[in-house]
Amino acid sequence: MNHGTGVDIAFLLLATLAVVTGWRVFRTDSMVRASFFLLVSFIAVGVIMILLAAEYLGVAMFFMMAVEMTVMALFMVMFMMNPAGLNPMNMVHQERISIGAGVVGFLVLGAMALFAAFPDQPVSASLDPVKSLGNEMLGDSMLIFESAGLVLLTTMIGVVVLSSHRGRYGAAAEGSLPPGLEPGGDPAGKPEEDEEGEDGGHQHHHHHH
Amino acid sequence: MFLNELFLPVLMVTFMLTVGAYVVAVLDRLIAGALGTPQAGSVWLAPMARGAWLMIQHANATEAPDWQAWRLAPALYLALAAIGLAVVPWSESLVATDLVTSVVLWGSVEALATVVIFLHGWSANALLALIGGYRYVALGLSYILISMFVLIGVALPAESLQFTQVVASQEALWNVIRQPLGLPLFLIVGLGMTFWGPLNLADSTDLAGGTASEISGPPRLVWDVARAAMLVAFSGVAASAFLGGWLGPWLPGPLWMAIKMLAVLLVLLLLGRLLPRIAPERCVTLMWVVLLPLSFLDLVWAGIGALL
Repeated sequence: MNHGTGVDIAFLLLATLAVVTGWRVFRTDSMVRASFFLLVSFIAVGVIMILLAAEYLGVAMFFMMAVEMTVMALFMVMFMMNPAGLNPMNMVHQERISIGAGVVGFLVLGAMALFAAFPDQPVSASLDPVKSLGNEMLGDSMLIFESAGLVLLTTMIGVVVLSSHRGRYGAAAEGSLPPGLEPGGDPAGKPEEDEEGEDGGHQHHHHHH
Repeated sequence: MFLNELFLPVLMVTFMLTVGAYVVAVLDRLIAGALGTPQAGSVWLAPMARGAWLMIQHANATEAPDWQAWRLAPALYLALAAIGLAVVPWSESLVATDLVTSVVLWGSVEALATVVIFLHGWSANALLALIGGYRYVALGLSYILISMFVLIGVALPAESLQFTQVVASQEALWNVIRQPLGLPLFLIVGLGMTFWGPLNLADSTDLAGGTASEISGPPRLVWDVARAAMLVAFSGVAASAFLGGWLGPWLPGPLWMAIKMLAVLLVLLLLGRLLPRIAPERCVTLMWVVLLPLSFLDLVWAGIGALL
């Protein structure tokens, strides 16, 4: 134990912050608030990682979680019937299963912390954590990280293409339709019934009444 | 230990925050005056007078805002500016926080700024502020990406993520010449991140002030100071990453750094006064279609330069 009391105090404060904000995620009534409480919790964990000399992983946690939580909050608001995310809404559901999972998770992790035999192998002071992490990521584990990176990049491009208002056949705002199979013909790929005449469509409509 | 590791860095950053924000206000007034916009009052005293006036004004309240987020957002933006100023090196040893991943920490400041600006607009529970917040998120993501590629470019020749190493790697040749695309792209990111001048789309006049449309009094003062301080932090990072930081003949290092920071600030404020504002939709297209590919090109150029 060669760290100062300042590190201990910082750890205790940050751990408390992480737990309290994590708890607030479930007690608040708005998706935007819940996302940013989660962000505060992650930032506290990131600072703890810096205290543990994982300087790159701790700082990476800040920017990754910042962007991730913003995008998550905005997507949740976009897909919910609560335009600004300011209206109160219940943030918890399936309470029994969640409580059960929470208790089991706490017991397992607590037991691990109490009963596991942690290795005592201090690394040499000359070890550069950023460099060794880079060697790990671009050394033996390069295939895993590069394939994960490629998959994520593909997903991002896919999302941008899907959410862009400019489709293959023109702008979405102008009701884009695919071109016809013959020049000037009906748009290709429309359902069968639309290609019938006016009467056919009308009869179909009556049938449902 | 307490004095060197906590008190002096905090004192240094606080000093730069206050002096920097004041310098931005004075320079902006001088530039506006030189360009023919009439300025009321003395150039040196008017920013102080406005600050004092805001201090005693009533802080506006909207109907059912998210009080915690609304009041915290300006302070958090100021805190982010302080983090940015803390990683700017003034000389080999004179730096508030010489973290080995300080370049990445600056990247996180840019990412967290998006969160804070969005929260500022969202929490007011008012229409125009909310639109400003959403607008910034749409644009902020592209700013972050451009800045990230440009900063990876300057980390490559330094073989380090530490700003002191990035400056030291420019001993022979400054990055502004080695990677000619870097600084112009980074300046655009800077105007975008502080929503200044042509890229002021989050707090713009077409939204009656955007995210800041509903704040007055002390919160408004903090918000304005924070934006100016962020511009200073940004010019510090730009001077370290591209203009060789403290390096230079004859003069002592910190003085060189101050001159370079002032030069970047002057360019930014001048651009802010000279360029017209672009429509947000066009700005998104410009960022993704033109500037982001240019930042890829900058990174490829930097990579080839590092290999040779």
